[in-house]
Amino acid sequence: MSTQLTLTHGGHCDGGTLLTVAGEIDMSNSGTLAEAIDGVTGPVVVDLTDVEYLDSAGLNDLFAHADRIELIAGPLLERVLSVSGLTRLVTVRLPRSDGPAPS
Amino acid sequence: MAYADRGVSDPGRADWTEAFAADPDIGGDLATVDWASTSLGPPAGWSQSLLTAVRILLSSRFSMWMAWGPDLTFLCNAAYRRNTLGRKYPWALGRPAREVWSEIWSDVGPRIDHVLGSGEATWDEALLLFLERSGYREETYHTFSYSPLRDDAGAVVGMLCVVSEETQRVVGARRMATLRDLGSDPSVVRTEAETLAFLGRQLERNLADLPFTLTYLLHEDGARLACTTGWPTGGPAAPELLSPKDCGPWPVAALADGASVCVRLDADLFGDLPAGAWTQPPEQALVVPLVQPGGAPYGFLVAALNRYRALDEEHRGFVELVAGYLAAGIASARSYRAQQRRAEELAELDRAKTTFFSNISHEFRTPLALISGPVEELQRHLAGADAEGRQELDAIHRNALRLGKLVNTLLDFSRIEAGRVQACYEPVELAALTAELTSVFRSAVDRAGLDLVVDCPPLDRPVHVDRDMWEKVMLNLLSNALKFTFDGSLGVTVRQEGDRAVVTVSDTGVGIAAHEMPHLFERFHRISGVRARSHEGSGIGLALVRELVLLHGGTITADSTPNRGTCFTVRLPFGSAHLPADSVHESSRTRPASAAAVPYVQEALRWLPAGSGTAVRDKATHDTSSPSAGSGPAVRARVLVADDNADMREYLVRILTGAGYRADAVSDGLAALTAARAEAPDLIVSDVMMPLMDGLALVGALRSDTRTASVPVLLLSARAGQEASIEGLSAGADDYLVKPFAAAELLARVRANVELARLRTHHVRWRAALVDSLQEALLVMDDTGTVLEVNAAFATMLGHGPDGLPYAPDHPWWPDATTDPAAHRTVADAFAHLLTQGHGNHTLPLTHRDGHRLYVRAAFNDARDPDSGRRMIVGTFRDVTAERHAVQRESALASLSTRLAETAGLHQALTAALDRLRELWHAEHVLSAVLTADGHQHLTATRPLTWQEIPAERRRAISDLQNHPLLTPVVGESGAGILLEHPEGPMALWIELEPARRFGREDELLLALLGGHLAQALTRAHQIDQQRETALALQRAILGPSLLPEGFAARYEPATPPLEIGGDWYDVIALPGDRIGIVVGDCVGRGLQAATVMGQLRSACRALFLQDLGPAGTLMALDHFAKGIPGAMCTTVFCGVLDPRTGSLTYSSAGHPPSVLALPDGGTHLLEGGHALPLGIRPSHERPEHVCPLPARSALLVYTDGLVERRRQSLDVGIARAGEVLRDGRDLAARELADLVMSELAPAGGYDDDVALLLYRHPGPLRFSFPAESGQLAVARHALREWLTRCDLPRRTAQDVLIAAGEACANAVEHGHRSSPDGTVRLHADASSDSVRVIVADSGVWKPGDPAGSPHRGRGISIMKALSHHVTIVPGPLGTTVEMHTRIL
Repeated sequence: MSTQLTLTHGGHCDGGTLLTVAGEIDMSNSGTLAEAIDGVTGPVVVDLTDVEYLDSAGLNDLFAHADRIELIAGPLLERVLSVSGLTRLVTVRLPRSDGPAPS
Repeated sequence: MAYADRGVSDPGRADWTEAFAADPDIGGDLATVDWASTSLGPPAGWSQSLLTAVRILLSSRFSMWMAWGPDLTFLCNAAYRRNTLGRKYPWALGRPAREVWSEIWSDVGPRIDHVLGSGEATWDEALLLFLERSGYREETYHTFSYSPLRDDAGAVVGMLCVVSEETQRVVGARRMATLRDLGSDPSVVRTEAETLAFLGRQLERNLADLPFTLTYLLHEDGARLACTTGWPTGGPAAPELLSPKDCGPWPVAALADGASVCVRLDADLFGDLPAGAWTQPPEQALVVPLVQPGGAPYGFLVAALNRYRALDEEHRGFVELVAGYLAAGIASARSYRAQQRRAEELAELDRAKTTFFSNISHEFRTPLALISGPVEELQRHLAGADAEGRQELDAIHRNALRLGKLVNTLLDFSRIEAGRVQACYEPVELAALTAELTSVFRSAVDRAGLDLVVDCPPLDRPVHVDRDMWEKVMLNLLSNALKFTFDGSLGVTVRQEGDRAVVTVSDTGVGIAAHEMPHLFERFHRISGVRARSHEGSGIGLALVRELVLLHGGTITADSTPNRGTCFTVRLPFGSAHLPADSVHESSRTRPASAAAVPYVQEALRWLPAGSGTAVRDKATHDTSSPSAGSGPAVRARVLVADDNADMREYLVRILTGAGYRADAVSDGLAALTAARAEAPDLIVSDVMMPLMDGLALVGALRSDTRTASVPVLLLSARAGQEASIEGLSAGADDYLVKPFAAAELLARVRANVELARLRTHHVRWRAALVDSLQEALLVMDDTGTVLEVNAAFATMLGHGPDGLPYAPDHPWWPDATTDPAAHRTVADAFAHLLTQGHGNHTLPLTHRDGHRLYVRAAFNDARDPDSGRRMIVGTFRDVTAERHAVQRESALASLSTRLAETAGLHQALTAALDRLRELWHAEHVLSAVLTADGHQHLTATRPLTWQEIPAERRRAISDLQNHPLLTPVVGESGAGILLEHPEGPMALWIELEPARRFGREDELLLALLGGHLAQALTRAHQIDQQRETALALQRAILGPSLLPEGFAARYEPATPPLEIGGDWYDVIALPGDRIGIVVGDCVGRGLQAATVMGQLRSACRALFLQDLGPAGTLMALDHFAKGIPGAMCTTVFCGVLDPRTGSLTYSSAGHPPSVLALPDGGTHLLEGGHALPLGIRPSHERPEHVCPLPARSALLVYTDGLVERRRQSLDVGIARAGEVLRDGRDLAARELADLVMSELAPAGGYDDDVALLLYRHPGPLRFSFPAESGQLAVARHALREWLTRCDLPRRTAQDVLIAAGEACANAVEHGHRSSPDGTVRLHADASSDSVRVIVADSGVWKPGDPAGSPHRGRGISIMKALSHHVTIVPGPLGTTVEMHTRIL
């Protein structure tokens, strides 16, 4: 059984191809995220606004592509992204103010 | 807990009558005591401990008393009554000990206080106590031990005294020491003053038995004070002179008949008297005459008496023996003085005699001739007469000849000295003349078994000699040679050397030492210390020979080698030019050997054995016609005669036998010594000069041998003069008689010496008899520790008798150093101490010759050996084995009883008993095995041990005990065992001893005794256990559940241990819909009664709760229920229903103290709503109900009033305090917080009321387990997220905890279970007011610091650490545990 995770390729936005992720990311499904990023060439914007849980397995996938991704993340992930050091390699943007706040 | 004591049907009466029945006599007297008026109260109310103590006391045959209770009420047993109590019985029973022993309370009181205060036993050996039990203040000594007695609760409330009285021994030893000191005079002879001074010094050392003494000696003018001890000076009691008219304060006249008189020392007559060793002056004195055997007393002794001892036979006997020593000392000193005076007189006489003899010796020739002539006539006339007459005539003749020879020799000398020699030198055929003279001796030489070798070839010219003189030269030389030669030959040669004729006389005899050679020819010089056929002789023979040879113009020389022989060489010049012309006669007369040769040969023959040897007693005892016949002693004394002169031997034997003595004779000192050692005679009469061993050496040898040291010796000698006399006396001879002597004088001396010796040895014999009659073993050692003397008791006690003497250290009775090193060390230490100190008292373990162990109390003192002046050590041994074992048994029994009284329960009793047994025997360990019917063994041991760890052969020995009868000790190789009755089956008790420790008969007896006692105690403990277990089962049935839901903790403490229940209770009940019912109640009263009420209410409450009536409904139903239960009224109860998910609490209180809610912010809230009356007061009354939401991370405390109620203190104070403690413990989980509350609120002496409390921390902890698969991580996360929500944490904190816990779970799944995929991961989380703790545990092995193996997991750990405040990762063999703490900000 895998943790609930939804990946949506959302076309382009400013910065690259938009990849919207929702649900939780842990070691049981981090491969899915890695494949999704691998499947896109060029810069990628990964929108993690609706991700409720992200652990080091998911972070490893993001670190692997740090040179070509940008992140959109809510306050819930802010601490884990910063303590892991990812924020020093990758640009993290807050979601749009009208975006839904993660519950 | 009066519960155990108040039994079914008044067991008290049965117990006390049974206890008193242990000794019907004493018990009977105890029964008549008005106990109700004592602090112990009537015996029916006595505690078990007291009754046990009384039973032990009365059934013991060892002397004991005990004191019990606040007044230390006195009880004792029969042995104590008999040995110590005296007239105080039965008055003393039931009285306060302080009153019974008021006179010694200052001595024993502090010891008793010590025992009562510390619980430690005391031990005193031979303590001096002044008792008033016989009508006077008495000096007594006791060895005793006080041990504590405990009541049923274990408190020390009394003491037991095991005592043995030692008065007789201590006082006896002190007196014996004085008598021994008196007998230890280091010098042989003293003046009277010296003797008295010495004896006085000895008496001065015992001022206890002799506070003072006065010794008066009788003189013509009255009695004079000669010696005092313990006396300052002067005073009306001790006048210097007691005249016959005024005899002062002492009954001098009454002493004449030899009996002692006791005098009261009234102060008005005697004034102030010295007190000696005591504080009070003596009250009586014994006046004892100093008896002189067969005469008036020498004087008398005034001996003040020890006022603290009765004047009994022993006491009187002691003083009289002291007087005896004084009398003997005076007798000895006076006898010595008389002896000295006589020796001086004799010496003076001898000088005169010598002058007289030398002046008139020539006058002897005539009377000698007048003797010799008629005797020869008589011999001829009586040729056919009786043999006896002839024998005496022969003796007269022989001695007349000898005397004649001596006189002639003396005269020859005086003539030579005076130059009045009338010589007649004529030419002779010297070889022939010499051979002829030699041949005269042939028969004597033959009889001596020697060869005579004569080698005298004729010379070619004559030699001028005086025939008479040459005769004397040759006879003297030959006689001399024969005297000193015992085997081999004598040789005579004549040769010619140049202008001289050379004559040699040689022998193969004893030879002459080189240092004697220069003096060989000196007049009166005699060679001493060599073996000779006779010591007769004047010492002038060789001197005369030399003078005679010089008269011939010749020379004489001697060559000698000791033990090879001697050769005399005489050289005479040829011709006559060197001789005075007027003395030279050229015509040679021929004549036969002169008659001068006869005495020489006769004398020589007398030296030689004559057929029947030297003892001539048989011949002599038939002679009844001797002088003084009929005046001999009544008891035939035995006299040994030693003289080398056969005539003298015969003569002495004859006159002694005639005087009624048994006389034996020997010919030398050595034979005399042998005879005396074989059977000590009453007197030895010995010549001084004798072959082999002379008289002085004989005396020395006799004195150095204890068997003969006291045999008196009378020395006879031809040597007169003071020096000789003194020499004899100082060598130890008792008397000295100079030859010639009259038969009457000899007999008078013999009689005096025999009688004096009998008097003197009376003390020695008395001492020997006393020593042998002593019950104590006695031994005498020298200063190296070698035992020289032992008495009969010693031989009996240790199996080593006088026949094995001397015993050098280590003595054979020491314990073996290898098998019993501790005991050996004890003895060796005491012995080393003894050798340096010379005295001491020890209790020593010793080994009997047959191997058994005994204990002796040894007392040692040093003394001087009067003969050698050497330091000697005198010791006595008293066998205290039985005593020691008895005391050991009693105290072991008492101590075991005490130990058992302190225990609760069968197991504890057994454990305590085993420990005690192990201490008692210093055992390796002690174990017991209860042998059940199914072949199992329930083991209890003093060290951790399983049945399998015990060596197989020991297991067999233990199991085998089953086949022995109960309470019969069985001694095995390494220990001893006994079979007991244990409530659960037969129990084998095994004592494993230290290596080489023997288990003796006494040990067996003790083990049987203690085993019996233990079996009884176990039965008793078992009964108590059963009662207790019933109670505990009840308690378990009615107390709250042992398993509580998460987040709850309960504590329960009854006020009356050991019953672990009371009137308080708590209950937690699982209700439908995951709700939880909470009950805390408090019945009125405490103990068992309250507990029964509580049990019923609790059950009812539980049942009602399950009907889902809600808290108020439940209490209302209980109101009705309580009406039907006596004692249930006024019970207070808190009832609540909790929804643990929401924290909503609905509750109702029936008069119960308000529960306390501790809020996470540090505040407290009291649950005071829903409050109404206690149970049963208003049944049917509607009860209120209240709802209280419990905030997350709050703590709820529900309790009974015992927790907070204190005397003189408002309940609010206690409740507020409880709130503070809850706040202080905000970090703690429920269980730890409950402990904190109990300990912080406990009063100083512990809770004095029942306490029940329930504590709930909301929410309860999370416990979640999941399979180690990555797919399960989301499930775990979900559970944790839900729990975190209940904890009401700030959103970011909750997220941090969630991620950190998620990383830990991922680690556990990925690494912890790589090798074991079936593993489980356990997640635990709990929250306190301000922190959250998460624990993740797996069952795999992984290393946290191993980034090579898992590079991205390293990132996981750093995230965990970054998101938590504290992380610990503990890897272990069974898995890894990660613990994370996060503070709630």
